[in-house]
Amino acid sequence: MDDNMIELRNVTKRYGPIVANANVNLSVRRGELMTLLGPSGCGKTTALRCITGQVTPDEGRVFIDGVDVTDVPTHKRELGMVFQNFALFPHMTVYENVEFPLMIRRVPQGQRREMVMDALRLIRMESYAQHYPRQLSGGQQQRVGLARALVYHPKVLLLDEPLSNLDAKLREEMRFEIRDLISRLGITALYVTHDQAEALALSDRVAVMNAGRIEQVGTPDEIYESPRSRFVADFIGLSNFIRGKVLAIERGMAIVAVNHIKLMVPAAEGTQVGQDILVFIRPNDVRLFPVDFAKAENTFEGVVHKLTYLGDTIDYRVIVAEGVQIRVQTDGKVRFNAGEAVKVCLPEARCRVILE
Amino acid sequence: MSHFTNKRQNLITFLLLSPGLAGFFGLFFYPMLVTLFRSLRPEGQTSGWTLGNYAAFLSDPDFRGIIWLTFFLAITSTFLSILLSVPLALLLRRKPVGHRLFRLTILVPITVPGLIGALGLLLFWGSRGWFNLLLLQVFRLKAPLTINYTLTGLVIFYVWHYFSYTAITTLSTLEGLDPAFEEAARVAGATPWQVLRYIVIPLIMPGILSGSVLTFMAAFGAFSIPLITGGNYRPLSVAIYKQIGIFIPARWSAASAMAMIMAALQVVFLIFYMRILRRPMA
Amino acid sequence: MTALAKRYWHALINQKKLFIYTFLWSFFLWITSPFLIILLKSVGRNWFGKRWLPPELTLDWYKWALTIANIPQVLSNTLIIAAIAVTISTLLALPTGWALGRRKVPAKEVLTSIILLPRMIPPIAYALGIAQIFYRLHLVDTHLGVALAHVAICAPYAILVLSSTFEGLDERVLEAAAVCGASQLRTFFHVTLPLVLPGILSSIIFTFTTSYNEFTLTLMTYGPHTITLPVRTYLAVGEGYWEVTSALSIILIIPSLFVLFMVQRQVQPEKLVGGFKGV
Ligand SMILES: Nc1ncnc2c1ncn2[C@@H]1O[C@H](COP(=O)(O)OP(=O)(O)O)[C@@H](O)[C@H]1O
Ligand SMILES: [Mg+2]
Repeated sequence: MDDNMIELRNVTKRYGPIVANANVNLSVRRGELMTLLGPSGCGKTTALRCITGQVTPDEGRVFIDGVDVTDVPTHKRELGMVFQNFALFPHMTVYENVEFPLMIRRVPQGQRREMVMDALRLIRMESYAQHYPRQLSGGQQQRVGLARALVYHPKVLLLDEPLSNLDAKLREEMRFEIRDLISRLGITALYVTHDQAEALALSDRVAVMNAGRIEQVGTPDEIYESPRSRFVADFIGLSNFIRGKVLAIERGMAIVAVNHIKLMVPAAEGTQVGQDILVFIRPNDVRLFPVDFAKAENTFEGVVHKLTYLGDTIDYRVIVAEGVQIRVQTDGKVRFNAGEAVKVCLPEARCRVILE
Repeated sequence: MSHFTNKRQNLITFLLLSPGLAGFFGLFFYPMLVTLFRSLRPEGQTSGWTLGNYAAFLSDPDFRGIIWLTFFLAITSTFLSILLSVPLALLLRRKPVGHRLFRLTILVPITVPGLIGALGLLLFWGSRGWFNLLLLQVFRLKAPLTINYTLTGLVIFYVWHYFSYTAITTLSTLEGLDPAFEEAARVAGATPWQVLRYIVIPLIMPGILSGSVLTFMAAFGAFSIPLITGGNYRPLSVAIYKQIGIFIPARWSAASAMAMIMAALQVVFLIFYMRILRRPMA
Repeated sequence: MTALAKRYWHALINQKKLFIYTFLWSFFLWITSPFLIILLKSVGRNWFGKRWLPPELTLDWYKWALTIANIPQVLSNTLIIAAIAVTISTLLALPTGWALGRRKVPAKEVLTSIILLPRMIPPIAYALGIAQIFYRLHLVDTHLGVALAHVAICAPYAILVLSSTFEGLDERVLEAAAVCGASQLRTFFHVTLPLVLPGILSSIIFTFTTSYNEFTLTLMTYGPHTITLPVRTYLAVGEGYWEVTSALSIILIIPSLFVLFMVQRQVQPEKLVGGFKGV
């Protein structure tokens, strides 16, 4: 049996001149929580709507549970979906909202009541059954939205930026609540968001999307530690990019020349000698030492150009060789002043090669 | 001090309101009072009080027929306007080719003088008009259908003239509807038809009703259209006008009594309708 | 097999499209063909019997309409009366709409419904009273008199549109202008006026249309010198010369088409009917 619960194969969707989805390939494994992460307007909702059937792709096929559903109308796809603006039916009570999918499916009354109450219990909203959506807070509304999506045990749960209409604190709480719920139910879920912190915290795997294309798919760890493109690195967190030329490759390590300094970096697949590449490292992976510090791997002299206190961390801009500025974030234990000479260490293991 | 400025502010507010209020009292309230007093005078006299005018009409079976006709026309045309407007709005919302033209078409009956519309309708639906030509030549009917000056014809003309209010309001309510509701319902397993029935129609009902109130009011008070296209069917407005337009000497008191009854009926019906409208969503 | 099913499916979808467009175009024809038939009638001769189109064309009926039905006079009456009615209504509605839209008014809702009352009561009811009052004041058969009668029904409209325009004015914009040091007069001309102008324009368009088309109140106050377009049409229908009446209608419909064009360009049509939701 096919291990993929959702699969988009070479899906392309155009709106006039705009290519909302360009040859998207995406598979979500059974029981997995995957996030689709990307800036707004990159085509996430369009991809989701191809899965729900609200949008018919111009090219490519959509599979759910191994079945080609490209030509199957939305209502026959057995999906659950949670919306950014909740989309609770304003003329129905919480109970009726959650009951709606069961009513449509003509589930017998007795069983129906039980399933609705089960779903409401799941989100701890039993006591609000007779309220109208407008009487609930945003967080409560979204929980009801979850209950409505889950009540009929759909094959797949789709969530389109479900938390972005909530305030920051609530968002963080709900994040974990949703995660727990999904893992408890063991349901396959595709979670769309533009918030990288949310994506990293929630998911088994992340698919990063940019301008209609999937740039990289991987575990949060892989995406954060080893971004494969400049876009992914930038989008997921703070980054240093150092432009250089590959001088040699020895035992899996590339020697990269940046102006007159040399960096040792683990070579990426397909790295070639003589190639212009970017060396990537996260600012909080870079180390700063006093100038008299003994020589170590990838360590260079530099001058602190600028520093900013960010509370528990300090953000330094250090100038190494002419024109190469490196951003460093350290905890505040050892401090350097602006203009002070320092040693900058880019630990080999934390550096990555990004091919452009 | 603040008491003083408060008073000043109130005075300014009152002064600003006064032109509108003057218009209201001078051109509506006072004339209504004149009509009311006239309805309580014996016919042709300027003094004395009587309820005879009301009594005469309320016991007159012809008059009851007129009231029924007025209500029948207003309710039927309101109902048909809703039946026309809802599918029209549903289609136009999707912006089909030429939707601008159709939108403009909706506005035609309320911007073009009603009497000219009525004239055209009489020509179009007449025994030699295009409608009957279509029936005779394309559908091979033996004899033309009589539409003009019949009840059916009158209903068609009413709908033509007054459906716009319902259509415009329905369309604008529908366009304000968040498409996410429908999407949510579709994903939850509802067929397009079920989405319409359980989600869209209930959600736009307030819009439909508030538009149809306007259609109802226009149809209930309709005067020019039944006057020239009604033939022997005379709803209230026409019956009132006949009292002063045909009888010599003009029967002002009778006309006024009928007008007061008509106004009362409309207000009562409107209050009733508003009750339904304001009922919390079921 | 699947290919066949697919073709069948597409055929069905096309059917649906066909159905939709049949519905929309029937609707279009139902609304517009009366005008088309008037137009043809006004330029046709000997159009009797089972003919779709007139056999001969002529402009005679227009000559008749201009001379016998006295169109220039009727048109100028109608426009003068509409202009007076629009002016008075707007002047009444500006301060009142401002007060209702922007100031604290006790029992505002009640007041608004009262002011809108003339649009809820059948006009014939107060037209009877107006006729009697104006007769005593010798206002019957004067332009001012007929226009004043129209104001009864135009002013509530203007007040409604203007108060909602003023209400929609953004306080912060006005404040910002004041903070920037603009004098009250400058604020008014450079900030407030441009913001409210569309509202005033739509109020004018609506009151003009209302007055231009008003029949009931005119019929009760007109005389030989103040025959307006709807009254003339009514009289012509009674006289029974359909061709001349058609020619007359075509001439008189032109300003309405202009208004229709303006409505479509300048204002949202739902404003034309809106505002009764809160009644
Ligand atoms: N119905 C539509 N018509 C035209 N353009 C659309 C439509 N839906 C989406 N788009 C365009 O497609 C692109 C992707 O949109 P979307 O999938 O909504 O992005 P996201 O959900 O990532 O913010 C955007 O540029 C958007 O303007
Ligand atoms: Mg989106």
